[in-house]
Amino acid sequence: MLEATDVRRHFEGMHAVDGVSLEVPRGRITGLIGPNGAGKSTFMAVVAGTLPATAGRIVFDGQDVTRMPAYRRARMGLVRTFQLPSEFARLTVLENLLVAAPGHRGDSLVGALLGPRYWRADERRIVGEARGLLKRFGMSGKESDYAGNMSGGQKRLIEIMRALMLHPRCLLLDEPMSGVHPRVADEIRGYLQDLRREGLTILMVEHELHFVEQLCDSVFVMAQGKLIGSGTMASLRRQPEIVDAYLVG
Amino acid sequence: MNTYYAANLLIFAGVDVIACIALNLQFGVSGIVNFAFIVFQAAGAYAAAVLSMPPDTSPDYSFQIYVGGLNLPFPLPWIGGAVAGALLAVPVGLVVLRNLRSDYQAIALLVTSIIANTVINNARPWLNGAAGLALVPQPLQDQIDPSTDSYFYFYIGLTAICVALVWFIAARIVNSPFGRTLRAMRDQELVATALGKNPVALKMTMFVVGGAIAGLSGAILVGFLTVWAPSTWLYPETIILFAAVIVGGRGNNLGAVLGALLVPVGFEEVTRLLGRLDIGPPNFIPAMEWVLIGLCILGFLWFRPEGVRPEARRIVPEGFESGVRVVGDLD
Repeated sequence: MLEATDVRRHFEGMHAVDGVSLEVPRGRITGLIGPNGAGKSTFMAVVAGTLPATAGRIVFDGQDVTRMPAYRRARMGLVRTFQLPSEFARLTVLENLLVAAPGHRGDSLVGALLGPRYWRADERRIVGEARGLLKRFGMSGKESDYAGNMSGGQKRLIEIMRALMLHPRCLLLDEPMSGVHPRVADEIRGYLQDLRREGLTILMVEHELHFVEQLCDSVFVMAQGKLIGSGTMASLRRQPEIVDAYLVG
Repeated sequence: MNTYYAANLLIFAGVDVIACIALNLQFGVSGIVNFAFIVFQAAGAYAAAVLSMPPDTSPDYSFQIYVGGLNLPFPLPWIGGAVAGALLAVPVGLVVLRNLRSDYQAIALLVTSIIANTVINNARPWLNGAAGLALVPQPLQDQIDPSTDSYFYFYIGLTAICVALVWFIAARIVNSPFGRTLRAMRDQELVATALGKNPVALKMTMFVVGGAIAGLSGAILVGFLTVWAPSTWLYPETIILFAAVIVGGRGNNLGAVLGALLVPVGFEEVTRLLGRLDIGPPNFIPAMEWVLIGLCILGFLWFRPEGVRPEARRIVPEGFESGVRVVGDLD
């Protein structure tokens, strides 16, 4: 589904990502772990296109997307979330979801000028879809609140729901459990397992290793910009150099 | 209150309302800090002037020289003014909006405004330099005598029609899914990009739309004043419009209208009335006007950043998706 070959990202001589090659299989959850500063989030940004690659090749669903801008990758179904809360704070929770819906007739200047009669049917359809997601993620009661007023965990859920509104084929999750109450983190884990059952491909950066263990079919380990290992969590725990580098404890 | 004074007040109010709605679409809704806004109004004014003026056949030492002089009938010069504002937005937008971060965009646009004014001020052959253009024909002046009350009423009506047209366009944009995308881009540009939105295209679109509306406002103004010179569109004029949008309330059209009535119109009137009281040395009151506008911006940004009329929270009624109820325009 997603293939990165010798991907590099350099900042003024600093090699944040230094020749990473990995493959994310279709319909699986793949983990990407490593210590702080390993280059995981930079790698995710390069794959999503929000940072250009210095070198290397990224192929998504058979198509080379290395030079493709981020917005076009998202439209293809390669959708990322962010490490820090990234809600549209002055939009309501429902609006946060609606804004992500692709192909809306009213989402262009001409469509807007033609008026609600032109786009209302699309709006009804995506409001129904967004409300379905809000119900599934237990946030129906919050739909009219400003997203900026939500808790850390709720903001994470908004991000995941918003990404799902794009009907992604591959979801890039950057620390979805970060700063989230353990109960909500457990809920998010359940949602991600459901999404995997539905066939969604996910590449996930996460520090909470027990979640990685529960969720991920295979895991890649990064340190200092390079891949230093891969396999299941159980197999990684048996590799002393990886345990020394990251899995201590 | 005589008719001329009332007409003056209403037409200036109309022009300011149009300009503030345009700036709100760019700054309040889309997050484009267009510190060159006044340049687009000026482009519309100059374009409308040279499109309506007769051909310049006078010698170079005449009191004014200019390009164009197409002698076009109304409303073509006003349409031309709007087109000029839109066309100018294309190259400026392509240079400024593509590769610069939003704070640098603001600086680049401020510099653009200063450069444009300096160039037009010093390049006499194009638009008569610092002296500017005079004797600009007024709309339908052959049919209605511009010195009569009837003409003032007519011009107020024309301005009102333009205000209504601009309001209609702005409301359609702000209350649409496209407006929602613009507000999302304003709040988190990178995140909007990761959701499949093209921020450069969105900003360019709103830069051109705002440029066209600004151009129209300039055309209305020059048609009433019959003169236009670089001294009327110095960069601080943009700051007044920003003050209006901030005071009125960013992101909603009604806020922009309120701001236009409170700041450019209100301050101008208060200054005019205070000027009669003979306070302080000459130019004390106009200078204090600038101080007060600055304080007004700081005060609102500090104590009430959402403005007098905050952006409305948009609630979609229950059952909307099944067509039971229809979402209303909230602006």
